[in-house]
Amino acid sequence: MEALFLAMFKALVAGLLMGLVFALVALGLTIIFGVMDVVNFAHGEFLMVGMYATLLTAPLLGVDPVLTLPFSALVGAGLGVLCYHGLIRHLLRGPTIAQLFGTFGLMLFLRNLALMIMGSEPMIVHQGILVGKSFVVGPGIVLGATKLAAAALSLGAFWGAWWLIDRTKTGKALTATSLDKEAAMYMGISTERVNALAWALGGASVAVAGGLLVNFWPVDPNVGLLFTMIAFATVALGGFGSIKGALVAGVLIGMIVQAPPVWDAMLRLVGSDAAEGFTIHSLKYTFVYLIYFLIMVVRPQGLFGWKQ
Amino acid sequence: MRKTMFLMVALLAATLAFSAAGLAADKEVKIGVLYPLTGGAAAAGRVLRAGAELAAEIANQQMSGIDMDMAKNAGVKSMGGAKIVLIVKDHQGNPQLGADLAKKLIKDDKVAGILGCYHSSVTKTVSAVCERYGVPMINGSSTSPALTTRDFKWFWRTTPHDKWFTKDLFELLIGLTEGKVKGVKAVPRQELNILAAACEKTEWGSHVSEEIKNFAGEYKFELAVNLLYAAKSPDLSSEVQSMIAPKPGAMLFASYASDAILMVKTLKSLKAKPKLIWGQDAGFDKPEFREMGADIEGILTRSVFLPSVARVKKVSGQVNELFKQKNGVDLDGASARSFTGLQTWVYVLEKAGSSDPKAIQKACNEITIPGDQLVVPWAGVKFENVGGETGQNVLGMGLIGQYQMQKDGKIGLEIVYPFNLATADMIYPIKGF
Repeated sequence: MEALFLAMFKALVAGLLMGLVFALVALGLTIIFGVMDVVNFAHGEFLMVGMYATLLTAPLLGVDPVLTLPFSALVGAGLGVLCYHGLIRHLLRGPTIAQLFGTFGLMLFLRNLALMIMGSEPMIVHQGILVGKSFVVGPGIVLGATKLAAAALSLGAFWGAWWLIDRTKTGKALTATSLDKEAAMYMGISTERVNALAWALGGASVAVAGGLLVNFWPVDPNVGLLFTMIAFATVALGGFGSIKGALVAGVLIGMIVQAPPVWDAMLRLVGSDAAEGFTIHSLKYTFVYLIYFLIMVVRPQGLFGWKQ
Repeated sequence: MRKTMFLMVALLAATLAFSAAGLAADKEVKIGVLYPLTGGAAAAGRVLRAGAELAAEIANQQMSGIDMDMAKNAGVKSMGGAKIVLIVKDHQGNPQLGADLAKKLIKDDKVAGILGCYHSSVTKTVSAVCERYGVPMINGSSTSPALTTRDFKWFWRTTPHDKWFTKDLFELLIGLTEGKVKGVKAVPRQELNILAAACEKTEWGSHVSEEIKNFAGEYKFELAVNLLYAAKSPDLSSEVQSMIAPKPGAMLFASYASDAILMVKTLKSLKAKPKLIWGQDAGFDKPEFREMGADIEGILTRSVFLPSVARVKKVSGQVNELFKQKNGVDLDGASARSFTGLQTWVYVLEKAGSSDPKAIQKACNEITIPGDQLVVPWAGVKFENVGGETGQNVLGMGLIGQYQMQKDGKIGLEIVYPFNLATADMIYPIKGF
């Protein structure tokens, strides 16, 4: 029984940490959707660019990968603004379907560009102050430094996003634009600038997430797809456009994907033949999408969504 | 009269010339070679092709520095010195394209037989075409066990497959407990008795997982965890948590590159302390995995050929030197096996003495190639129908390599199994994280 409780506690801690990382990845997606109602299919590719930015600049500048995060944020923000002015702004004049296909095309373009420049082999950061470090905080409870840092940064980023939107004039402009674009324009808000800012914020936050992830996750041009799926489930579960929703849903998804060891511990407790089971691990993301599906059916606006 | 004489001589000369050309045409044997030369596996395809081409080159001319029977003759002696001509095609890893190309090779190019195809899925469709047309196919590098359980009459496989490789691991574990491993005193059985395995949930991974379960039962180890995980997962910490829980002595994996790297990094960050880590090749034998350097020291991976074989087997060293001269790299698992695949073709043709499919079929079923002829460290090549398998080489064997720091400060693989081929003392237990 003790083993079961330990497994549960471990799953809670690990779920919280991983959930905050998922939430950070999803933050940019929810900001862009919240302000503009545009679903960015290329979100995962922004993450991939952030990963490569850290991976390439750290050895070039001779500094620890963590110190290149501001640079990754700049690259992400720059890419966001570039994509907005070069593509999205024009797509907004067309039907919604044009936006969907437009960002889908952007996804394919960025992925293939990376394939052409970087090749298909996975690359990873092997040295750094966070790489491979961990802290033992209890019997059998180990916290990875990278995930701790990512979780802390995620909390910081969410606080920053909340502060920006709730406490600043710029945030009020963002909120106004998201509520009623035309009324915001009549009030003298430059919605063009606000939209570009949303893309800059979205790009920067996901690029920073990428910069942290590359400390423990190999990057290749196709890596974005994995995280796009998680980010979409997170945002849909939390509610499209809701920052609080992204945070809560991220943590919830983190808990779900860390749950299988608890199931394994239960199997061991009842003396089930372990070698026969344990396929639950391969289904952990299925549970995520199942819950997302149920939420969509029962509560389409998501847990905290305010847009329908 | 003189004009008539001249015309007659000219006619005779022309006839002789045409006959000679005809004879020359008879003195070659076409082998269709199918490998993935473009697409995701293009890098592997290139070395596979290089391996087969080197074997053909050695077979086609006398080479005094190579201790192989096929290097003593120029061409296939029993066929009047017929030269081996390879017709190489690119299947791009696409089973349908592979089948189409095989038809063309058989119907248009009139090949005597086929060598290929690397991907088990392509080998499956190509061998089905060969079976339909009654054309022999020798496979050198596809490891899906199912390929030789179809009772095909025209398909032979030289490489050992995943079942054998998994068995090798258990032989190594037993060897450790019996003190057979170089540089390691006998390990108490209870130290290694609990095993934890994680395999990706694909056809290959699921099969390896099944084999691990079967052999754990056969060799009486306790398989406490045998999980399947979603390949290319963004996080593997829940899997590692489950594996750590029963405190296993050995951890076993079947993963491709990014998962293998993430798995080792997660093991490290969660301070896992197994005595032994073994990977079923794939991701554990890739350059990007090796980039982890000291973090992977002590980790084991199965293989079929390692450059260190050249140090313990003379003929491997001779061929490796030649291969390196031509391609700038050492022979590896892919090139050594494609070399052996084509070499088997040469010996089969030598035994058959003809390119007639029936004669080749008979020769394949009867041939025994001694191990000292091969670059790979096998006991030989002999196709037997045993254990529900047809056309499988029963004299093949795998290798288990261990990552160890080399003198130049780089990480490299040393052989620890088979015990008689060990090139270094095994590091046991692994240093841990």
